[in-house]
Amino acid sequence: MFLKAMALFLFWILLSASFEWIHLLLGLVFSFVVAWLNSGHSPFVPKFRLWLRIILYIPWLFYKIIESSIHMSRLILDPALPINPQLITVESKLRHHAAVVLFGNSITLTPGTITAEVYRNTLIVHAMDKDLSKDIESKQMESRIAEIFKDEKPDL
Amino acid sequence: MEILSIIFIVTGLFFLIVAAIGVIRLPDVFSRSHAVSLTDSLGAFLMLVGIALHEGFGKNMLKIMVVLALLYILNPVIAHATIRAALRSGLKPWKKENS
Repeated sequence: MFLKAMALFLFWILLSASFEWIHLLLGLVFSFVVAWLNSGHSPFVPKFRLWLRIILYIPWLFYKIIESSIHMSRLILDPALPINPQLITVESKLRHHAAVVLFGNSITLTPGTITAEVYRNTLIVHAMDKDLSKDIESKQMESRIAEIFKDEKPDL
Repeated sequence: MEILSIIFIVTGLFFLIVAAIGVIRLPDVFSRSHAVSLTDSLGAFLMLVGIALHEGFGKNMLKIMVVLALLYILNPVIAHATIRAALRSGLKPWKKENS
């Protein structure tokens, strides 16, 4: 609970960006109140190694986003509009709730592919054309995410 | 620094315009939402980075970074919710006729 309150307090300082004592005191009080109200829910346990791996994954995701954005812009600006939308079902081998969330979010974040439905570790993805759906089916992204979560306890 | 920020903002504008054209040209909800996600992932990102560079280091830059992080967390959620709602209400995705 103390960690949660401190995280909230840091966020408060970031948002208010003023160091008058009345603001800081108010922020401290309210962070403790909110942390206390939430103390019955999920415990706030920082996992530094996991977060480090996720942060290292972001640049690669970014490269993918730029690549498919350019692909998508080309599709839109082409006078013939050569799109071929399709729904594909992807059954992933991920064993964690958080991993599936990260996978679905990454798919949605790259333009041209959107996660339409999730059931356990099966995702229905809507893709703009064959190239993009091949990209999802090539399991490149999935294996990277599996790599991030390889040391965690499976919970799915 | 100023020139760099202008380059970022203009590139961001390019992607925003492409996304707007896409929303008009594409045939159905599903493909249109792809065009919208183009706005979020590159258009808004490049615009915000351009503005952050224009502001220089300081608390405003930090705030823009927070906005950026929130944008990248929230946008996929919104896009996914829209598409899932469309799919669950029985809308059929547009298909190419000859495939």
